[in-house]
Amino acid sequence: MALLRRALVALGIAGLIAAVLRIRGSGGTPPQQGGWRELSGPELR
Amino acid sequence: MKVLLLGSGAVGARAVRQLVEADEVTEVVVAGGRDGPRSEVVAGGGAKVSDGGDGSDVARVDAVLLTGPRGTHGAVAQAQLALGRAVVSCSDDSDDVHDLLALDAEARERGVAVVVGAGFSPGYTCLLARHAASRFDAVDEIHVARSGTGGPACARQHHRALSGTALDWRDGGWQRRPGGSGRELCWFPDPIGAADCYRAALPDALLLVPAFPGVDRVTARLAASRRDRLTARLPMLRKPHPEGLVGAVRVEVRGRVGTTQDVLVLGALDRPAVAAGAVAALATRWAVDGRLPAGAAGLASLMDPVPFLNALVEVGIKAAIFDGAA
Repeated sequence: MALLRRALVALGIAGLIAAVLRIRGSGGTPPQQGGWRELSGPELR
Repeated sequence: MKVLLLGSGAVGARAVRQLVEADEVTEVVVAGGRDGPRSEVVAGGGAKVSDGGDGSDVARVDAVLLTGPRGTHGAVAQAQLALGRAVVSCSDDSDDVHDLLALDAEARERGVAVVVGAGFSPGYTCLLARHAASRFDAVDEIHVARSGTGGPACARQHHRALSGTALDWRDGGWQRRPGGSGRELCWFPDPIGAADCYRAALPDALLLVPAFPGVDRVTARLAASRRDRLTARLPMLRKPHPEGLVGAVRVEVRGRVGTTQDVLVLGALDRPAVAAGAVAALATRWAVDGRLPAGAAGLASLMDPVPFLNALVEVGIKAAIFDGAA
């Protein structure tokens, strides 16, 4: 019974850590320079 | 030109508005779906638009535009193709796209175009990929990302895609990855800006790989919030909005010019349903005019996308380029 309880607690903690890792953080760093501009003129020929 | 439009959701309603503006379109018959939304689209469309009920009795049609629910496009397209009609589908469902691409041989034999994925993404993104590719001697990688949704059906598909299986093309083979994995920060045109994007069950690679023989990697990602990601495998907790806000797409193409490797990032910002409706309507007109090749393919198969992009500029759908370190 104690073994089962410990296994369930371990699984719960692992799931909690996985959930935190899944939803926190970011997928990278934004560009440090540059920006968007409309395509026009020779770029659309 | 007589167009049969099947589906009267957000994209269908926008497509009707674009179609009736074209001089060569003499009649648009709206059919399928629920009676209420269909009546609204017909009432708001003007003199050229009529109600076709379930669409089974509509004769002498030049082209069929499919904007209805996912999962139905393949069978409907096959039936319409058997009648010799050009077909344009806006579906962004992988199974639909797979079924539609399988109609290629029959479409070529009949000499008509079956345009697959004629929306904002896929669709406009395919045009951007083709346009960006023209700057390279060889294309190595294409990475598509999108943010935002059109109508409620699009929002449900967004939710479903995040819990589905993503299909990436890598080193000459397909790789299946779980949706919601592969977080990457993508930089969309302002005001969307930076958004975390994830793998999802998206059909972009199915359309881009055949259009770019020899490409090494093709991936597609979907912008999602933490809540979207956490609840992706649950039923939708809230009813989707009638129409989403502003969305954006981004296409990153990596390739070679001579011996130099380079990256080009193109994108666009618009309400997804508006952009998808404009792309679908123009693709329908071009399919009937014979300006699109016979066969079933995405818009990336259009070897010169510039006239198509310029025609979209006239209706307010404009492409953008990212200058700087991507």
